[in-house]
Amino acid sequence: MSEGSFLRVRAIAKKEVVEFSRDWRTIIAIIVIPLLMFPLLFILFPVLLESEAAELDALELSIVIQTDGLPDTLAENISLGSMEYSLEILPNLTSLSEPGLDLERVRNSSTDAILRFESNDDVWGYAILHLSTSERSSEARFRLLTALSIWEDSEVRERIEEGGMDVNTTLDPLRWDGEIADGDVATSGEQSGMILSLFIPLVLAIWTYSSAIQPSIDMTAGERERGTLEALLCLPCTRMELLLGKWLAVASITGVGVLLQIFGLLFAIGYLASSSFIGVPQLSLLSIGLIVLSIMLFAVMVVAFELALAMRSHSVKEAGSILAPALMLILFPALFTQVINLDGIEGFWFAIPVVNILLALRELLMNRVITEHVLIWVLSSLVYASFAAYYASRQFNREDIVTSLS
Amino acid sequence: MPKSLLSIQGVTKSFAEVQALHEINLEIHSGEIVGLVGSNGAGKTTLLRLMAGVYKPSSGSVLLSNGEPVSSMRHELGVVPESTGLYSRLTAWENIRYHSRMHGIPDSISWARTEKFAEHLDMKDSLSRHTKGFSRGMKQKTALLRALAHGPNILLLDEPTAGLDITSARTVRALVRQLRDEGGTVIYSTHQLAEAQQVCDRIVIIHNGEIRADGSPMKLLSDTDTESLEEAYVSLTLDQARTRKEDNAKESAFSGWWRRLFTPRTPASTREVNEDE
Repeated sequence: MSEGSFLRVRAIAKKEVVEFSRDWRTIIAIIVIPLLMFPLLFILFPVLLESEAAELDALELSIVIQTDGLPDTLAENISLGSMEYSLEILPNLTSLSEPGLDLERVRNSSTDAILRFESNDDVWGYAILHLSTSERSSEARFRLLTALSIWEDSEVRERIEEGGMDVNTTLDPLRWDGEIADGDVATSGEQSGMILSLFIPLVLAIWTYSSAIQPSIDMTAGERERGTLEALLCLPCTRMELLLGKWLAVASITGVGVLLQIFGLLFAIGYLASSSFIGVPQLSLLSIGLIVLSIMLFAVMVVAFELALAMRSHSVKEAGSILAPALMLILFPALFTQVINLDGIEGFWFAIPVVNILLALRELLMNRVITEHVLIWVLSSLVYASFAAYYASRQFNREDIVTSLS
Repeated sequence: MPKSLLSIQGVTKSFAEVQALHEINLEIHSGEIVGLVGSNGAGKTTLLRLMAGVYKPSSGSVLLSNGEPVSSMRHELGVVPESTGLYSRLTAWENIRYHSRMHGIPDSISWARTEKFAEHLDMKDSLSRHTKGFSRGMKQKTALLRALAHGPNILLLDEPTAGLDITSARTVRALVRQLRDEGGTVIYSTHQLAEAQQVCDRIVIIHNGEIRADGSPMKLLSDTDTESLEEAYVSLTLDQARTRKEDNAKESAFSGWWRRLFTPRTPASTREVNEDE
């Protein structure tokens, strides 16, 4: 590339980034949302769930107990669970789960739940009638089950002691000796890499594609629709320089978005989890270098592909209606890649477009550098990236890009 | 005879099955204002795009005086397309500077040229403003400044006064004449004969993709034996003007079929319209 050519590509890319960043909506979409999405999801959402749970805990519930005799300890457990109860005689039914005449009482919320409890020699039978679509009723069922479980546990212990046996050895005859985590021979760095490999490739793939949609459309079909492309095509720059400049701009914008999203994700995980849950993955310099290479090849391919599709479109509307559903081409392979077992994986997986880079990222994040796999994904990705770039250059060389259908 | 700056030889341009221009031969000389006059869809914009190197001729050639194709010598040209092509989130100066940088012109030189012409167009105070809020006239003037900033030899203007108020149109025309007086060459596309008569030294009438006449306004009158340019134009373009087909040619057969599928039939009578309602 000559110096003049380099300067023109730089001027195009710079202008695109400057113009794009002057729209505050773009800054929110490309920078603020990726940065805040995961922290909001992982930090604020649990806080919201906690406050909802506290609200449920504070509820005073009203239940009906139908029984032929309620043990005192069970009655005490139920009262401790903030439940007011009234006792009724057990109706005559074929099974305790059969709602019978009580169906409407639960459905119209005149009671939150009905516990049916029947003594049957040494075994007790029970059923709980509740309305699963009502939060109060579901909470009542949950509290009743908790009270019953505590009562059952003490009943079991009593019976074991009455039989002259030791409760602990009878109930817990098999025990792990020592710390469970000590049994895993993987280092904490490897474990972190394993955890990160499950979602970083997915986030990277989806966000790279989706965050490139808007700038790709704006810089191609948008220019075409606004009539700015014609003036640009009259300038002494080749169409290839134009494509390179725009590619560089979209890739930069997308790169910033992806980096911020990963940063937000790691921050959220770090905030939520203990340091032993996730740490810094143990990666060799070679792995890091190959991760960077794989991301670059993926970005070349995806951005060139999107620029080509957008440039092929005659209007912003048309480009949007093509690029948005085309996300499926990334989403399905990305989801599919998550469930592929990497142990003993066949080489051909590393030649499938999109899948190859995502699998490569998973392997590399676990610090596994397998020469055969690396060669396959590097070569196949180079072929796909070259094809995408060639396809994009063909679109940029079309004569009709100067006119719009809008 | 002034030097020929741009030579269009036997140019034909087709889009799919539509022939937009047919066997165009034209010599553009140094220091003249050439008006391309024709109705909508006549082929003026296609011819300008060929001259600007945006389109390649289907046959024939568009060459500069040194024998090079225009596409390899674009720094010789300053172009103002009909849509002006300004970026609304950049200031007027940033728009101008962007194009100048693409021409490889240092900012100081393009600023000096811009400042000089901005005075004439009363645009100096607006150079630092974003073009988003600009009126059509201000956009047109900015596009003109942008086309002049790198010092082109030939200026291509596509309908430069379309949609402008009277004062702005006069200012633009005055600047074009001034450029000619300073030795510049301007190719000026318009569909208004009166405007062409006021501004241009030479008028080229294009109709249905063909050149029907080429000469000074006086020559056109004498050649057609008419008393006004309007009469001359009508006598040269008696056959019905074609509809603009260049854009339609891009639509795929399936897209066209799909669009027609959901387009109701146009009512044949008032009664049918009432029934629909």
